[in-house]
Amino acid sequence: MTAPDAARKYDLGFARWVRDNVDGGDKLSMCMQCGVCSGSCPIGTQMDYGPRKLFMMIRAGMKEEVMTSNTMWSCTSCYRCVVRCPRGVPVTYILQDLAAKSVELGYANPNDNTRFSKSFWWSAKTWGRTDERLVTARYYFSFGLKEGMRRSLDNLKIAYCMIKAGRMHLGMPHKVKDKKGLQAILKKAAEIEQRESGS
Amino acid sequence: MAATEKKQAVYLCEGCGISDAISLDELEQAVTGEMRVPLCRRIDACCGEDGLAQIKKDIDKGEVTQAIIAACSPRVMCEEFDALGAQVIRANLREQVIWSQPAGDENTQMLATDHVRMAVAKAAKTEKPAAHGPGASSMKLLVVGGGVTGLSAAREASKTGADVVLVEKTGELGGWAGKWSKHIPYASPYRGLQENPLPDLIKEVMGDKAITVKTNTTVARTEGGPGEFAVQLQNGKGDEWDVFGAIVVATGWRPYDTAKLEPLGYGSSPHIVTDIEFEDILSAGLSKKTKKKKSLDVVAFVIPGGADRMPYSSGVSDRVAIKQALQVVEAVPGAMVYVIYEDLRAHGTAEEFYREAQEAGVVFQKGEVISISSDLTVTVRDDLLGGEVPMSGIDMVVISTGMVPNSTDIDREPSQSGADQLKDDIDPRVPITFSGKLVNGGNGAEPDKAADDDEPALPGGPILNLQYRQGPHIPILANGFADSHYICFPYETRRTGIYTCGPVRRAMTVGEARQDAQGAVLKAIQAMRAADESLAVHPRSGDLSYPKINHDICTKCRRCTVECPFGAIDEDPDGRPHINFSRCRRCGTCMGACPVRTITFDNYNPQMVADMIGAVEVPDEFAEKPRILVLACENDAYPALDMAGINRRQLSPYLRIIPVRCLGSVTMLWISTALEKGFDGVMLMGCKSGDDYQCHFIKGSGIAEERMSSVGETLKSMMLEEDRVVMEEVSIADSVRAPQVLNEFADKIGAMPPNPFKGF
Repeated sequence: MTAPDAARKYDLGFARWVRDNVDGGDKLSMCMQCGVCSGSCPIGTQMDYGPRKLFMMIRAGMKEEVMTSNTMWSCTSCYRCVVRCPRGVPVTYILQDLAAKSVELGYANPNDNTRFSKSFWWSAKTWGRTDERLVTARYYFSFGLKEGMRRSLDNLKIAYCMIKAGRMHLGMPHKVKDKKGLQAILKKAAEIEQRESGS
Repeated sequence: MAATEKKQAVYLCEGCGISDAISLDELEQAVTGEMRVPLCRRIDACCGEDGLAQIKKDIDKGEVTQAIIAACSPRVMCEEFDALGAQVIRANLREQVIWSQPAGDENTQMLATDHVRMAVAKAAKTEKPAAHGPGASSMKLLVVGGGVTGLSAAREASKTGADVVLVEKTGELGGWAGKWSKHIPYASPYRGLQENPLPDLIKEVMGDKAITVKTNTTVARTEGGPGEFAVQLQNGKGDEWDVFGAIVVATGWRPYDTAKLEPLGYGSSPHIVTDIEFEDILSAGLSKKTKKKKSLDVVAFVIPGGADRMPYSSGVSDRVAIKQALQVVEAVPGAMVYVIYEDLRAHGTAEEFYREAQEAGVVFQKGEVISISSDLTVTVRDDLLGGEVPMSGIDMVVISTGMVPNSTDIDREPSQSGADQLKDDIDPRVPITFSGKLVNGGNGAEPDKAADDDEPALPGGPILNLQYRQGPHIPILANGFADSHYICFPYETRRTGIYTCGPVRRAMTVGEARQDAQGAVLKAIQAMRAADESLAVHPRSGDLSYPKINHDICTKCRRCTVECPFGAIDEDPDGRPHINFSRCRRCGTCMGACPVRTITFDNYNPQMVADMIGAVEVPDEFAEKPRILVLACENDAYPALDMAGINRRQLSPYLRIIPVRCLGSVTMLWISTALEKGFDGVMLMGCKSGDDYQCHFIKGSGIAEERMSSVGETLKSMMLEEDRVVMEEVSIADSVRAPQVLNEFADKIGAMPPNPFKGF
């Protein structure tokens, strides 16, 4: 967490950019700072800033702080905030798109959040499911071989316990039945994204 | 009334459980025996058809001129008993005896007997009041100010059939609101900008034959009172005199001093403007094609906090900021519009308006604005953001200001001191004499205007230039707003027959001002009608009694002329008080002020209450039954005690409660009478005083407090404890607290040794 720097200047152009370019950003003006989103967030304590504060910072033009924060990466898309927001602000969409935009604009490369997110996405895209071992391994070894080994060994005991408890399996990764169908869906989604960002 | 022979009768009511709780046989014996009232009847229920008929029969036969009805509180069944034709005196046996005391108790019986004794003593000294003479009957209304409030007031008055003269200082009608392009919504559904209502309103007024519009005209002098205000109107060409029944002051507002915004950054750039200046930009039009578009891409409306500005903005400038923000969004598509606020006060229907602005994309950003630099960087401090954030990239900053009331005329020679504007009623510099001697340390010379003036004078001179002894101004309370009893009588000023409305009373929007004008006009019409019938206006509406002064006894001490909360009393050339009856509200503050007790009302006077106190039977010091006198204000304290009775809250049986018109009417004679008679304690129970007063006569309880401050010395000289005489402030809602306060006081007095004057 970083406090604002009184010696700097925060350009309100950022707020305008969010309004015009981020999915759901035009609804940010409806936010009345009640804090129901932050209060409802199951992992709010893990975030640099809760959604409420993040929105306040966007409006204040605090671009660096917003784009480098882990808030949007921590979001698990449980949609509690969206359901509860009294003003209909699509909090989850805004966070998801902010994450995407932060990668696009080069703010998020590479850090913990993006590394994990990439491994997660690799698994989801490849198998249609997430595999605990593969996601974790890919994430750990993205730091390099030495670091990957160290992290894996550090967590060996946890892995053992999880296997014992039936929370992690050995053998082939789970996958969806219709992998081809999944690929088709993803292809279509990419097409739509391409079309919308192009227009 | 002339001295016709008084024939009294006491009617003891048996209804509502009175006959079960006390022995009416004993009471009847006391009435015909020691009280020497020839006629005493017991009636099933005084207020019932049979009961009323029985009383009426006695009155019609000419056997009774004063009916003393010992039944319920004087606050109920008034119409029924007043219709009987005789003067009715009430003894409150229900609410304040049987409902607040244990039944069948010896003390309850004593209390009931004392209530009847007091009523009988009261009857001896009271007369049915008669009007002071023919009323003043002008039904023409003067409206001062040609803005939205004044125009609405004139139109509303004309609709009721009154003749109206509308006076406007400038050459044009419409005022500030007339110049603006769009307005804060003033009609349902309170969403969306509304068109300026002024052009239509001006057309209506100009087409109204009952309204005479005088532009470029001011009020030079105002004399007289309700029903007979003689007003000198002045325009460039000359003066003219006219007579009016009442005056509505709708002089509106002027912009908040921009010099006070300079520390914030106002003036450092041409792109930092006030909301009032921004109205001009909006009126000129924000077309997409104009070059303005570029300069209005990011606009920030700043609503600064600060206690100094607060009273003048009062939620109005917040709504103005919302309105202007919406106007920018509508005129410049894609513009980024901020409203930066510390406290956004969008109350009532403005909530809808606020939400609409949010939906249109206006960003409401909370934060304390620290500074606005010349390059339009707005630095905001907010705890959630964790510090100061300089926000840049703004094209124009609009600062919210406020509406300063035009309670004075800025074009006129200013008053020399704040006291001249009567923020405080009692000017400490006016020397008060008693029996020809100065009593408050004055030097007898003209008051020194420059001395001890802690309240700075407002800019400008008086609006109406009242020719009253208490000065030319309509009294103000705080921040220059006209004084009024905010809860009960919002339009009243402390000058009867003169009503303020619109932003001179408090900051308000066009919609609110129009409603305000309606209210004030209705009160003004009431005042004119009351003056016509010689009746009092609020709060003693319809009261015929009026203060009488015996000029042979008067010492010309001037206390009454100084202390009257309504400036009703002037001085004649000899220095004797001259009461303007139509200005008088019958509170009796003059009566309480008079050191020689020569100001009286027919049905309320110093001797009457003194005799009531004297009529109470005080047991000797060995009986261990103390007596405590309670002088309770009949506006709030007395009803609160009645309500306590209705809820069966028990009161100490040693209290003897007498209602008074206002604590301001309490004379020290009553306190000394009570103490000499052997009462062990005295409590004055009235309304809250001070800046947030609730006194129905505005200054009465404050004046009482001031008078009480010297009672301690007197008590000491009588070798009595100082805390035997106290004053308490209660409100009408204090039906739980008021009895507690009284009972605690009774316990405290009970613990003291008895009053040594008992039995002398």
